[in-house]
Amino acid sequence: MIAGHFGFAAMVKARERSAPLWMLMLASVWLDIVFVPLFVAGIETIQPVQGRLGYGSSLIHADYTHSIIGMLVLSAALGAIAWPKWGRRSAIVIGLVAVSHWALDLIVHRPDMPILPANALQLPLLGFGLWQMPTASAALELTLVLAGAWLYWRAARAVCLKAQRGMRLAVIATLLIAASGILILCLDLTS
Amino acid sequence: MQFILAVVLFVVVVGAIDGRLPWPRSNGKQPRS
Repeated sequence: MIAGHFGFAAMVKARERSAPLWMLMLASVWLDIVFVPLFVAGIETIQPVQGRLGYGSSLIHADYTHSIIGMLVLSAALGAIAWPKWGRRSAIVIGLVAVSHWALDLIVHRPDMPILPANALQLPLLGFGLWQMPTASAALELTLVLAGAWLYWRAARAVCLKAQRGMRLAVIATLLIAASGILILCLDLTS
Repeated sequence: MQFILAVVLFVVVVGAIDGRLPWPRSNGKQPRS
C-alpha cells in the first residue's frame, strides 16, 4: 500500500488543520522511508510470493521498521522532531499518523510483521492478508484516496472562505491529491 | 520506483501548494524577532 497512506494523511489534515500537510504526508510513509536504506543495505528484504513481485504479492521482511516496537520508536522520534516547530498537539498527531501506517499495513500485509525487532523471541507474525484479494485491497486504497481528497477539499474550501481568499490553490491541491493517488495506485497495480 | 514518485508528488508538490493556503498556524515555538 502506498496511495492509501497518503489518502489517510489528507483525511487527518482536514481534521487537524494546523498540522502541515507535507509533514502529515511524510509521517504517513515514515516507516517506509526508513525501510528504503535498510532494504538497500540488505537488512530488510522483500520476498516474492508465487515467484513474482507485483501488487501485494510479496512477503516484506521489514523486521525492524515494521515491528511493533520499531514502529513505536520511529513514530515517537518523528513526533519528537516535530514538537519544537509545530507544538505538542501537532507533534502527537504527526506521531499517530506514523502509527497509522503500521495499522493500515496490518490490514493488507500477509503475516510478515513482527512484534519485536528482528522477530526476537520468534513471536507470531502479524498481518490480516487483504493483499491476497487485490481487488478488495485496491478498493480500500482508492476509498482512502478519494475520501482524503474530499475531506481535504471541504476543509481547504472552508479556510479559504473564512480568509476571503480565492479557491484556485485549494482546487489544485485537491485535484493533485486525487490524481496522484489514482496514478500511484495504477502504477502499483500494474507493477 | 512508484514510492519515490509518490513521495515527490504528495510531500513536495501537494505539500508546497497546501502551504500557501490560509490554514491556522500551529502553536510551536515562534522564531525570535
